[in-house]
Amino acid sequence: MTHLLLVEDDEVIRNTVGLALERYGYQVSTAGDGLAGLELFRSGGHDVLLLDVMLPALDGIGLTRRVREVSQVPILMMSARGDSLDVVSGLEAGADDYVVKPVDTAVLVARIRSLLRRGGQRQGSAQLVFGDLVIDPEGMEVHRGGSRLALSPTELKLLLEFAANPGVVLDRQTLLANVWDYAWDGDSRVVDLCVQRLRAKVGADRIETVRGFGYKLRR
Amino acid sequence: MIWKIGALVVAAACTVAIAVGLLVHKSTFDRAYGIARERALEAVDTGTPVDDPPAPLRDVAPGQRVTWYDDSGRHGPVMWAAKREGDHVRAVWIDMGGDQRNLEAFDRSMAKAGLVALAVVVPATALVVARLSRRLRLVAGTARRIADGDLDARIGPSNGRDEIAEISTAVDSMAAALQQRLHSEQRFTADVAHELRTPLMGLVTSAELLPEGQATDYVRDRVRVLRHLIEDLLEISRLDAGAEQPQLSTVPLGPMVAESVRRTGLPVRLEVIGEPTAVTDPRRLDRILTNLVTNAHRHGKEPVEVLIGDGAIAVRDHGPGFPADLLAEGPQRFRGQGQGLGLTIALGQARVIGARLELANAPDGGAVARLELADAPDGGAVALLDLIPG
Repeated sequence: MTHLLLVEDDEVIRNTVGLALERYGYQVSTAGDGLAGLELFRSGGHDVLLLDVMLPALDGIGLTRRVREVSQVPILMMSARGDSLDVVSGLEAGADDYVVKPVDTAVLVARIRSLLRRGGQRQGSAQLVFGDLVIDPEGMEVHRGGSRLALSPTELKLLLEFAANPGVVLDRQTLLANVWDYAWDGDSRVVDLCVQRLRAKVGADRIETVRGFGYKLRR
Repeated sequence: MIWKIGALVVAAACTVAIAVGLLVHKSTFDRAYGIARERALEAVDTGTPVDDPPAPLRDVAPGQRVTWYDDSGRHGPVMWAAKREGDHVRAVWIDMGGDQRNLEAFDRSMAKAGLVALAVVVPATALVVARLSRRLRLVAGTARRIADGDLDARIGPSNGRDEIAEISTAVDSMAAALQQRLHSEQRFTADVAHELRTPLMGLVTSAELLPEGQATDYVRDRVRVLRHLIEDLLEISRLDAGAEQPQLSTVPLGPMVAESVRRTGLPVRLEVIGEPTAVTDPRRLDRILTNLVTNAHRHGKEPVEVLIGDGAIAVRDHGPGFPADLLAEGPQRFRGQGQGLGLTIALGQARVIGARLELANAPDGGAVARLELADAPDGGAVALLDLIPG
């Protein structure tokens, strides 16, 4: 059973969202502040983290940063503000996606499913080599210069998307659709910030920005 | 401005040169004339007279001396003097050719000096004016950038304490004040958003958990309405703050609009002409379309048609059309019979993505909203309107 960790300070939201997600068949643990959330996370076994941005003790952005130090578990931010500061800081800290409150449970579930979807309807399992980067689509592993990279599932999906189309410019809409399962309602900053994080790991010049269009993987 | 000031300076310099030239010319001539006259009057007693004095001198009265300046002569101007001696007129002339040549040489050097002065003054003026105009243009450009939403734009300190430096400082402090006000307004909006959305989210998910039934349907419906209203209000205040930035990408309009319309869940007749694409912000375009289609259903009558052409989208219904005051004054918030915020938001979002949204009524009834995207070919939307069947 998929195990979710929900960190939310508003009691009603915490309880109702927890109950609603349980109806969808998820196992849900909840915490009311950032530190309690971190404590609970350390006990292990969570498949997706749902974090409110504004939390007492340790806010969602700080919590994301702490989690990312040790884990690449998918993180979904829930912002009540939806302004750029919240969203950008959350994504920079390492969140994979965000939703703006209020959000229907159906939408929340769709987002969780997208984060859990294994990126790889790829044909073939041969290793892909781009310079010092070695991608193993079958084993879902990426090595750079011999050492294994710690990529979050979203970063891995994004990299596989690029690797499937080396040298081809992929625009933000395509990436939002293929990696995040957004139709037209995705926020292109999600792509930009995930590309930034991916670059920091695979080498800044591996993924080129094509101004006004999107990104491409350098062969 | 540089040309106007330049022309003015040239005109002023020329006027001064010509006026001075004329005055000097006249006084020099007057002096030469006076000297020549005295010499001629002296010579009339001592000099060798001519045999046949010219006509104007022939009837000199006795005891009278006259002089006459004649510049019609073949050998240059001369000064005549004459007096009557009995029945015969004694007349002499003094050559003034030398004086005239002097005067001409003098005129030439005056003209030369004038030209030299112009050659110095005009470029110097142009330089100064160009500097002034560059500084003014910087002020204007910065003001324009601020108006376009770049609130960080500043002219910066200028070395000088003239009026332009003053206006620069004024514009800069105005921009800073504006920015601060916007920031506090945005902070307020963000705070309100947080304060409203948190309980609303509790309400939304609680309503989802209620057991099915008629009462639950009522509650869910009202929660949905309340939620849309709050989202609309927050969107309006963000648009009002004027700090919204589009996130542009290349979008195939056909599938995008189809998906947008599908999600409204409302029946719409969709027609796509060709395979149009546009560089736009798909999320904002989605908001505009959703609002237009919802509005058409709420206030118009079916069938609602959406037509997509090259860089332009038209939404029309077959109801009574937009009310006259809406067409005249534009959509007003919450005014009229439940007009709501949909059209105001659509207009605001259109502005953010650089599109033009025009509202009109079809000749045979029904409201038409034409959205012309930024890179639409000229008249794209007009052509679309013509294509809509009546």
